[in-house]
Amino acid sequence: MTSSERLAAPLDVVAPPRKGFFAALAPGGGKMLFALVVAGTAFLFAFPVLWLLLTALRPASGVFYVHRGTEFTLHNFVEVLQQESVFHAFVNSFAIATFATILSLGVTVTSGYMLSRFRGPVPSGWFAIIYVLRCVPYISWVLPLFFVTRQLGIFDSYWGLLLPHVAVHVCFFSWIMKGFFDGIDPSMEYAALIDGCTRWGAFFRVAMPAAVPGLTALAILCWLYTWNEFLFALMLTSHKTPILTVVMAQFVHELGMEWHLMSATAILALIPALIVTIFGQKYVIKGLRV
Amino acid sequence: MFGERQRFMLLLIAPAAAALVFFQVVPILTGANASFRDWSLHDPQMTWVGLKHYIYVLTDPGFVWTVMPNTIFFMVVSVACSLVSGLALALLLNRNFPGRAVVQTILLLPLMVAPVVAAIMIRWMFNDQFGIVNAVLEAFGLPGQPWLAQRATAFSVILIADIWLWTPWFALLLLAGLQSLPREPFEAAAIDGASRWRVFRYLTVPMLRPVMVVCIVIRAIDAFRTFDIVWTISAGGPARSTELFSIYAYIEAFQAMNFARGSAAAMIGAAVIVVLAIIIFRVLNRWSEVSK
Repeated sequence: MTSSERLAAPLDVVAPPRKGFFAALAPGGGKMLFALVVAGTAFLFAFPVLWLLLTALRPASGVFYVHRGTEFTLHNFVEVLQQESVFHAFVNSFAIATFATILSLGVTVTSGYMLSRFRGPVPSGWFAIIYVLRCVPYISWVLPLFFVTRQLGIFDSYWGLLLPHVAVHVCFFSWIMKGFFDGIDPSMEYAALIDGCTRWGAFFRVAMPAAVPGLTALAILCWLYTWNEFLFALMLTSHKTPILTVVMAQFVHELGMEWHLMSATAILALIPALIVTIFGQKYVIKGLRV
Repeated sequence: MFGERQRFMLLLIAPAAAALVFFQVVPILTGANASFRDWSLHDPQMTWVGLKHYIYVLTDPGFVWTVMPNTIFFMVVSVACSLVSGLALALLLNRNFPGRAVVQTILLLPLMVAPVVAAIMIRWMFNDQFGIVNAVLEAFGLPGQPWLAQRATAFSVILIADIWLWTPWFALLLLAGLQSLPREPFEAAAIDGASRWRVFRYLTVPMLRPVMVVCIVIRAIDAFRTFDIVWTISAGGPARSTELFSIYAYIEAFQAMNFARGSAAAMIGAAVIVVLAIIIFRVLNRWSEVSK
């Protein structure tokens, strides 16, 4: 609700609300126009997803002319769920997204706290390092990363994908976390220190609980990002650890043009993301209020 | 050696620094090392050749006159358009109307779909024979376009996909920013009878500037190094005319199998974006300081 609406009643006395062009033209027209604009925008944003859904519901013979024909089927969903690699990919993607979120947040919350609470050469040096490293394009380190995970013997395993993901998130998340802690008054921590708390105690018992809304918001965004990430999954995993996005892309690359199966898998992959977003968006918006 | 305070600071960043060193610094140094050597993927000689690859890339007219302008143009247009539409959506979602929660969930859909799937789908929608876009155009009696076979249209499709993908991200951050603004200035403006435009121009935008600066900086860096959606939609085509620099690096490294040259191109791109990012950060910081 905007403040002008809330204050409408007392304001009537002072200055009558100006009538807009549309209100003068057709009473209620402004509202209609607003509803139309909203519906149109929502349709535009939803369209590729609607198209995906429609393709997923068509039989294999119908995908080239999705907009014609009237045959619909749920068989595609049954078919992809019967494929073992798709099922494995679901489990793997879920595990990677969840663990990557936990690890990334665990690692960056301390780093963001440090950036926020201290001044001097160490924090500014650290900030400069993460700022510069954030700029380096993925393409210049994803192939050497393949060599590194090979050397460490973690290629095509959970760790081999998890740890690079954590490294990607360090820069961005540390920066955002700094913002969260900047918004929290440090005097409570000073009070805790004076009362005999250790620095770690002040961090864990005082600063961390205050940062929980921000952490929740980042956790949701991080989970969605990792669930949908493609380039690292493509380069750092193989047959032992299939990842959902790679499996979906392969439906239309290696195994022929199976649009209906790709779309069906994509719709299934959308369901967890949708659940996370529906229940999480409130916390994201609340948590990102820096 | 270190004081208690220093030890605490270093311990706080130790896990993050360890992850960075192993999975970012070491790979980057490996790539940087490779860029000075004769390192093709099928025959890694690894002999030192100095700046040969850098000179090759910097004197390649394709890189200087197509790839770099493409990348800068892409970055500016993508960030500007998604910022404006994200701000519009944030203002919309900040109002109260029936069905707001549903509309918000729908507008966040691009954040939930895997970008690679979305890009495949968008490429399919713009297919010149089977795509829905041409079908709709023809239904209205307009000529269909070979969207991905011409430079201008292919570039537009990529930009549309990118803006579609990132507008919700801007909207989310800006909405959070809008909701954290203090109410008093808006109430004062309402009492003064300020028009909506003036409230937006002289209150909302200046007060949102710090949030916008963070969004723009983060997004500009990401847009500069965009890879996957361009690769999926056009793969740099037609005839390498829509290549961004990460596509150029990828093609040199993996299709021409010259890992060293690809690394050199990536290093040049990284250097450009580091300089750009510092300039953007400085300029925007001043812009947001002035508003205070």
